[in-house]
Amino acid sequence: MRPLLIGVTAIMAAAVVATLTAQQAAPRYRPPRLANGKPDFQGVWQVRNTANWNVQAHGGSYKTPAGYGVVVDPPDGSIPYRADALATREKNWASRDTADPLGKCYLAGVPRTMYLPYPLQILQTETEVAILSEYVHTWRWIPLTPLDRIPGYESWMGDPRGRWDGDTLVIETLGHNDQTWFDHAGNFHSDVLKVTERLTRIADDVITYEATMEDAKTFTRPWTIRLSLYRHRDMDRILENECYLYAEEAGKPIRGEHPK
Amino acid sequence: MNRSSWFLTALTLAATAALVAQEPIPQPRTSGGCPVESKAFYECATTKARAFAALRTRDGHPDLQGYWRSRNNGIAYDVEPGPGSFAVPPTFGEIIDPPDKKIPYLPAARAKRDEIRTKSFEDPQGHCAPSGAPRKNNTLFGWRIIQPKDHVVFLYESMHDYRVIPTDNRKHLPASIKMWHGDPVGRWEGDTLVVDYRNLNGKHWFDMAGNFQSENIHVVERYTMFTPDTILFVATIDDATMYTRPWTLTFSLERNKEPGYYQLEYACHEGERDLQHFTDDTRK
Repeated sequence: MRPLLIGVTAIMAAAVVATLTAQQAAPRYRPPRLANGKPDFQGVWQVRNTANWNVQAHGGSYKTPAGYGVVVDPPDGSIPYRADALATREKNWASRDTADPLGKCYLAGVPRTMYLPYPLQILQTETEVAILSEYVHTWRWIPLTPLDRIPGYESWMGDPRGRWDGDTLVIETLGHNDQTWFDHAGNFHSDVLKVTERLTRIADDVITYEATMEDAKTFTRPWTIRLSLYRHRDMDRILENECYLYAEEAGKPIRGEHPK
Repeated sequence: MNRSSWFLTALTLAATAALVAQEPIPQPRTSGGCPVESKAFYECATTKARAFAALRTRDGHPDLQGYWRSRNNGIAYDVEPGPGSFAVPPTFGEIIDPPDKKIPYLPAARAKRDEIRTKSFEDPQGHCAPSGAPRKNNTLFGWRIIQPKDHVVFLYESMHDYRVIPTDNRKHLPASIKMWHGDPVGRWEGDTLVVDYRNLNGKHWFDMAGNFQSENIHVVERYTMFTPDTILFVATIDDATMYTRPWTLTFSLERNKEPGYYQLEYACHEGERDLQHFTDDTRK
């Protein structure tokens, strides 16, 4: 009896260990997929952080909620500005109340459009991805098939191209103008900016979002932010946020007066 | 209306007028093999659609994907037939019902239309407002249609506007939510995409000629392909506080097949930054 009992116990223990090992070895989330097997990101998403106010870690201040910061590289969480660019950022910071492009209801640019405190909706086919924002009815259209860029094209929202890296959607965006900021704190870039975004759905309700910025005119090295987009379970469509029209309706037009 | 907005609108109108004057848009007399006059077009396209078998998406619906633009023959300026006026070319209108091609305004609404049609600087589109339904399809720029599962999505070049049309016939938003682009809810009736618009804020015009609406507006749009490259577009507008009866307009949507084409950014409101470059001399 006793050897048998030991044997049974050993088998059970082995089974438990095997189960635990299997769980540890395969914790990988399996996202819903399109018919072509690629991950499905469709839904209404929004961040729950304060990167819109400052992508770097910051305490609270007037009209600015505190935040941990989303810069993960460099490891110290600070944007690697060139010395002259840092001076510009300080100037931007001082005048942020009036100089932040979002204060004028301008297009937010990339990557800021992804972490505004408003919802965005992702829609997808096998060959293209659309990211639509409530904020000033913005769309980003991201082809997943080859498409030549138009040389010299410059825009507020950039010229994106997408591809799959395993289950991660990679979006490379060029063609930025130098008018958008990364946040309300005056963090900025030039028109040679290249943004590489990586979106990975790690749970039904969470996309891990990374963006790496390269801009030799402004930064000494590439730098990266990482944050989470959360799915709205109770929203089946986004509404609208017509910033400059609301201002006009309220008798506080954003548009400047014609110069004398 | 503040001065700068007026100025932006005037610039837009002037630019448009210049475009019309210098490079007349070619006006072929047919679209998809049909005459373009609205009534004849409607009858011809409807007949052709009955015999047409569209390519299908994975969901089994007609595949509308690609780039499109409206064959609107100037009705972006005036949905009613008219001889034209300052910055408004003559049009033959796009209304097919009522038969006189006029919007069946109630008397008070018509009086207001006659008043505001002289104030094209008040056109919300000149203020970079999303153009709502059905006007967005009347703009002089194109759009891309994509069809994710259970959706049809329109991405417009003009003012980076968009429409997300769920085709699961879901309920509309609560009536208290009013929006410039409204709440489109779609369904497929055979091979026709039917889009029901409510929740529009009623601040829109239908064109540049002051034809206007109220927040009670209800629009039903119908999209039917009748050749691989042509869509019959029909919109019925209903609002008992504005019109004596529902009225219907139609025009053709044509596929843009230019190789390598994609839409560039049309950042409308941001153009206000250019105001600083104009002086009073420029305005003389």
